[in-house]
Amino acid sequence: MRIHRRDFVLGASATIGLTTLAAPAVLGQGKPRVVVIGGGPGGATAAKYIARDSQGAIDVTLVEPSRSYTTCFHSNLYLGGYRSYESITHGYDKLAAHGVKLVHAAAAAIDREKKQVALADGTRLGYDRAIVAPGIDLKYDSVPGWGRDHEKTMPHAWKPGEQTSLLKARLDAVPDGGVIVVIAPPNPYRCPPGPYERVSMMAHALKQSGRTKCKIFVIDPKDSFSKQGLFQQGWERHYPGMVEWLGPKTHDGLKSVDPASGTVKTGFESYERCALVNVIPAQMAGQIARDAGLANETGFCPVKPESMQSANDANLYVLGDATIAGDMPKSSFAANSQAKVAALMIRGELQNARTFPARYNNTCWSLIETDDAVKVGGRYEAKDGKIAAVETFVSKTDETPETRRQTQAENMGWYAGIVTDVFG
Amino acid sequence: MPQIGFRRTGVRPGGTMPLGGAVACLAALAAFLCQALPGSAHSTDSGIEGDPALGAYLSSECVACHQASGVQVAGIPAIVGWPRDQFVAVMQSYRDGHRDNPVMHNVASRLTDEEIAALAVHFGNLKPTGQ
Ligand SMILES: Cc1cc2nc3c(=O)[nH]c(=O)nc-3n(C[C@H](O)[C@H](O)[C@H](O)COP(=O)(O)OP(=O)(O)OC[C@H]3O[C@@H](n4cnc5c(N)ncnc54)[C@H](O)[C@@H]3O)c2cc1C
Repeated sequence: MRIHRRDFVLGASATIGLTTLAAPAVLGQGKPRVVVIGGGPGGATAAKYIARDSQGAIDVTLVEPSRSYTTCFHSNLYLGGYRSYESITHGYDKLAAHGVKLVHAAAAAIDREKKQVALADGTRLGYDRAIVAPGIDLKYDSVPGWGRDHEKTMPHAWKPGEQTSLLKARLDAVPDGGVIVVIAPPNPYRCPPGPYERVSMMAHALKQSGRTKCKIFVIDPKDSFSKQGLFQQGWERHYPGMVEWLGPKTHDGLKSVDPASGTVKTGFESYERCALVNVIPAQMAGQIARDAGLANETGFCPVKPESMQSANDANLYVLGDATIAGDMPKSSFAANSQAKVAALMIRGELQNARTFPARYNNTCWSLIETDDAVKVGGRYEAKDGKIAAVETFVSKTDETPETRRQTQAENMGWYAGIVTDVFG
Repeated sequence: MPQIGFRRTGVRPGGTMPLGGAVACLAALAAFLCQALPGSAHSTDSGIEGDPALGAYLSSECVACHQASGVQVAGIPAIVGWPRDQFVAVMQSYRDGHRDNPVMHNVASRLTDEEIAALAVHFGNLKPTGQ
């Protein structure tokens, strides 16, 4: 038997409640079961689509500890004062109407041999196929001087919820003339344009409240970043003198941070008594996926590009930020798109449903300043053993104000659309 | 909360009104087409009978932005309940680049005539529910 977690103990007495120890159902032998781990855009979309489209023929259980989901997407708009916290928080109640069974608990381990997902209380959920969509974990040891104990002093706000509110409270408290340092993450990470949209929204909030003597320094381990020309043009245009981006050649490496004194040291400079330091550390697939042996040396999970099936286990599918999805970025749009492919392929396997070749899509909108949004996107297909970009696009630096305004209107409409698609 | 509000059109909030919904949908379509195809009123119905199963699958890509309920929010138009030939014409105009929204061009440029016809059937058959 393969148990992929050191502290995983199971006694016979623990197999109660939701436990399903029956032999796995296969085609023609009882109702097939799908267990989905993680209720983000990846997992919740997949659970809804399989339950809804199988019309009760497949038993779908979604395992998610939280009773509501606050989106990381548009959390920067909350930071900028464009959205309320409530407007980016969504319940799971509507999924039940599609036939999804919700279990509000964390999955503790995946027993790949027995095809069971174990919860922390020992309950085991049998599956024919399981979907693993736990998002990311932060690498707390990737920034010298910073760790889990310091996430309140120097917030990351790269996982949603409490951290998002904390970052906003801290931003609101920055005095005029205060120094903010944003430490950007190395590739690959959740939401490539995210740190730079965040910088834009911080600058907007500061400018809006007359704190234009503040300065935001971005310390980046990367030589370049997503939509760089567009963001840098926007910063100069809307927030002159307020944002300075430094790549590795111009800061000579991040040496350390000291949360107690609010200091950030690079090879060239020392930023002292910072009013706010936002540390966005390096990332890896959520623990449950790594513990189950689904990740490779990169910390993320390889998948088959034509289905999102794990490269390591044909009964498991991995979705969203936890995966290595070729040319696709880690975005909620991408996770939602991948979920639809997996849902169809799983219905094909368990229900003989008609399947079609996988096609994937993504667009990421970013707001730079009121009515000035940009976008990047593409479509993707399984090609040469990976999910490969077939065509991509990105906003241009010489677009009209009207185009930028329309782009923001699309951004708002997309948000309403995707949360309806995922949770509605 | 400043600046951004949702504009909801297409159906009356909470209303059932199948007919009113359809009329509102057509009005939304007309407004959209005026924007989409300036000065052209041609119908380019390919004459292909759309495959509903294919349309249902392909539509999952569209509903990441466009709501299946027919609700329009901000800059994402409602696309349910359109006459098929006009749905086909609009998608072809994105595919051919006459209409230049990069997101829609990106989506449309990989669609065959059969796939566009399938989508036209799928969304044409949906009734706006406004939810
Ligand atoms: C600041 C910021 C801005 C962003 N902006 C955008 C944007 O504009 N557009 C866009 O498309 N994307 C954006 N993103 C990215 C987007 O948020 C992620 O790509 C998306 O959330 C990934 O979805 P997921 O389902 O893979 O993971 P998640 O959304 O992280 O969901 C994973 C879920 O799994 C649950 N979970 C974890 N472990 C377990 C377990 N053991 N058992 C049960 N459940 C578990 C978690 O509680 C969580 O609910 C942004 C991200 C950030 C940080």
